[in-house]
Amino acid sequence: MEKVNVDVVRTGGKHACYELKYRKGMTVLDALIEIREKQDSTLAFRHSCRMGICGSCGMTINGLPGLACHTQVSELKTDTVRLEPMHNMAVVRDLVVDILPFFDLHRSVKPYLMRKNIAERDSSDREYRMLQEEVGKFLQFDYCIICGLCYAACPTAALDPAYTGPQAITQAFRYMADPRDEGWKERIELLDTSHGVWRCHAAGACSFVCPKDVDPAKAIQMARVEVLKRRVLGKKGKEGSRLITVTAPAAPKEGTKPPPFDFPQGGRGGE
Amino acid sequence: MTEAKRYKAGLISSLNPLGFNVERWSYAIHRATGVILVGYLMAHIFETLQLSGGAGAWANTMNALHSLGPLEMVGLWIVAGSALYHGANGIRLILNEVFGKLMGKPILPVYPYSPTSLGRDQRIAVWTVTLVVLALWIWAGLYLLAGLGVV
Repeated sequence: MEKVNVDVVRTGGKHACYELKYRKGMTVLDALIEIREKQDSTLAFRHSCRMGICGSCGMTINGLPGLACHTQVSELKTDTVRLEPMHNMAVVRDLVVDILPFFDLHRSVKPYLMRKNIAERDSSDREYRMLQEEVGKFLQFDYCIICGLCYAACPTAALDPAYTGPQAITQAFRYMADPRDEGWKERIELLDTSHGVWRCHAAGACSFVCPKDVDPAKAIQMARVEVLKRRVLGKKGKEGSRLITVTAPAAPKEGTKPPPFDFPQGGRGGE
Repeated sequence: MTEAKRYKAGLISSLNPLGFNVERWSYAIHRATGVILVGYLMAHIFETLQLSGGAGAWANTMNALHSLGPLEMVGLWIVAGSALYHGANGIRLILNEVFGKLMGKPILPVYPYSPTSLGRDQRIAVWTVTLVVLALWIWAGLYLLAGLGVV
């Protein structure tokens, strides 16, 4: 391959075609940057880290959602690269989509550690500890970079804009599986709705396009099993986990260091 | 998320599996066969409802159906295939969605990535469903052709 043709679907559905010289190791993002620097400074696309970490450069590459920085032109096995904005999101301009509604879905599942004891959480002076096997139950789902590719690939999200989406459900399950978290009940109620886990039809496209192998399809089915257990067996979840028996310290006086927590000693985390 | 202005959201995009994994193809076929079965159910209810008009009305309806000739059999063959695929794939989906089977367990991702939920077990299940349904559908076709006296 000596030349690459890049066909970009721009705002309003207009196509713009650019031709550039192929370099070994050229990524789709490299091609876009070269086009913007040398051929068309008006071309809009979003990018940042250039190494598949920030998740900014998500777009539709030859019909499939992918990260532009993570996709080599040579792996596409064609000399024409067709670029579109990510599906299921509103276009701001050219390849830039409005990702804020997607972030709102992420926020809706409360993707952070929830603790009943606010004083203990806010004045913590040491970390919560876990066993390695406990970490293994959710670590895969923790690698999500919130790029939105799974949402763009999801056929259910294409039909139902109120669907929580694979990314958000995965993050909800990531915290449900975390032994430090106490928000199991709140999250499972968010998922147990007609726009929650029940809307997923196991197409697996989310896992197919995920650039970090977070495997949202697996997390969704695991979350659904938890929802079913709660519905059918009346399971109450992991409230009362071993790690939440931390004694809350008294509110520290101004200018003083808070007292240490009474963590159970020995036999935890290799001690 | 607002429906207005979402790029390529909608039914066509939802049912287009081109370039995706076999499970996504399976999803599209499952939805399409579901629609065919609902259509058949409605037609079947309408057909049976004609009985309330007496034996004459029923005979007229059946005569109208038989007048379609081979098209009636083709229709029945499509309905048989839809029922077979929807049923067999439904069993796979129940294993996935209700029992969490064929999905694997959480792992530490190692590059090059290969999601376990789309792994060997899932592929075996998808292709088993496809092959069994194809075999039964061919058998159903032969059965219907025998009814026409062709074979």
